[in-house]
Amino acid sequence: MTGARRGTGRVAINGAAVASAFGRGVEPLLAAALDGTPGFRPVERFDVSDRRVGVAAVAPGAPVLADGLARVIEEACDSAGLSAARRAHCPLFLAMHGDPDLARAVGAERTEHGADAFAAAVARRAGLSGVVRAYTSACVASATAVADAAAMIARDRADCIVVAAGYFVDADQFALFDAGRALAPDGRVRPFSAGRSGLLLGDGAGAVVLGSASSRTLGRLVGWGRAGDAYHVCRPRPDGDGLARAIVAALLRADLRPEQIDYVNAHGSGTPHSDPAETAALYQALGEYAAAVPVSSTKSVHGQALEAGGMLELIVSLFALRAGALPVNAGYLGPDENCELDLVLEPREADDAEYALSVNSAFGGANTALLVGAP
Amino acid sequence: MSVLYQGTLSPELAPCTLATGAWPESEADVPPPPLPGFVVSAFSALAAEVARRCLSQCPEYSDGLEAGSEGGRAPAVTAVVMVSSLGDIASAAHVAQAVDSRDRVLPLLFFQSVPNSVAGYIAARWRLTGPVVSVGGLDAGFGAAAQLIEDADAERVLLIRIEQAEVTGARDRAEALLLAAPEEES
Repeated sequence: MTGARRGTGRVAINGAAVASAFGRGVEPLLAAALDGTPGFRPVERFDVSDRRVGVAAVAPGAPVLADGLARVIEEACDSAGLSAARRAHCPLFLAMHGDPDLARAVGAERTEHGADAFAAAVARRAGLSGVVRAYTSACVASATAVADAAAMIARDRADCIVVAAGYFVDADQFALFDAGRALAPDGRVRPFSAGRSGLLLGDGAGAVVLGSASSRTLGRLVGWGRAGDAYHVCRPRPDGDGLARAIVAALLRADLRPEQIDYVNAHGSGTPHSDPAETAALYQALGEYAAAVPVSSTKSVHGQALEAGGMLELIVSLFALRAGALPVNAGYLGPDENCELDLVLEPREADDAEYALSVNSAFGGANTALLVGAP
Repeated sequence: MSVLYQGTLSPELAPCTLATGAWPESEADVPPPPLPGFVVSAFSALAAEVARRCLSQCPEYSDGLEAGSEGGRAPAVTAVVMVSSLGDIASAAHVAQAVDSRDRVLPLLFFQSVPNSVAGYIAARWRLTGPVVSVGGLDAGFGAAAQLIEDADAERVLLIRIEQAEVTGARDRAEALLLAAPEEES
């Protein structure tokens, strides 16, 4: 049952769709990422007058999570050219915090609002099969779902899997992050920068269709890895050991050397503790090449979309490779000696870029790494 | 030992169970004490307790809280898979009530808003260096666990299932299973 890590060349990304603070579609999100234009604005969706911080990367209005997920799944399936018959055989792996209505449901009503029930309802509405998994692993939920789907396809346990993720900024999570003093008081996310002061939340919904290569293939998922810190409830290991092991696992599956990575989309939350730990992980996994590989955190543009963050970052990385350009690490004020990386601080072309590494870390010491390749 | 799982996994993927732990084990079982730093809800304390009841049966795992416990990793790369349909609903409902009534939101609730956090506590205490995953249902939990083993990111999986009581008078329930590849059964 146990076996060698397997990945190379078997898993294609055949469809993708996204919605973010910049609106529907890949184009506005990618344009903002490549220009380094942040989407942070005052939150009007709910009352923030009691909060220390009042901004997030939010789209106008109050989007409904189930509707947003239905839309991106539909668009991703259309872009993959999946017929209704094929959709009916596709499992759904859904990364999410939970049913937005759960916390205010009462007593036995709560059963109807479980994460698995919510995922099943999303799958039914999208015409997907009844096989669903709801991933609730905080900031690694998306990447874990993608890795598990890729592993199933690489081992011929599935032909096609839809992986979707969604988080729309809400009053409860906003209050929690504010109470935990995790939000940046200066209203900007400044990953790996001197003077960084925290994260900001952001809207995100996205979906990818994974399967075998086809004429619709947008890119390849060549490697993935997951590993734990065994260190702390919410702080990352300072030496980055868990994240480094996830990156090495992804490289092994992809059969790639570190020098073949053309771009790293970092977790880069912009918090004081996390960014140095992530830098240490990159050096442990990539050696001295960590100082040379271009790095940015697109959270500086689209914010922290929690369970959907990894999906946004995977899609941005994929389409950046296709565009031959690298996303900008916005909000930068100056160097931090604990974050010595080649940060992408201005728009940068990369016509020959072939592989991008997207990494995420979460509470509980969870770490993931995804390696995406140009088609 | 027997293969416990009888769900939708193909037979060659179904993991074997090396040890189990549950709460409550009887009607007389008293709730475990709160974990330091966790408030309002019993979710995290129950997770830690069933993990202890499960792993303490396996001498190769040492409890970092016990005096004289040596450092270092557990001998097998062990993942933690949290399974809960509703998550920490007691904490979530508390936060919702505070937001709606404009009461102060307790800062400690920030990190316990996701099941990952107590998984990190358990992983640190028992030195489990495998992946940390949270999913919504038992079928998903077994599926994810079996895949982590087959895909070689973990050798074993500590699967923890927690469901808090939804109605007054009912009891919370929690269980933990230490899973391994079928060939480890012998």
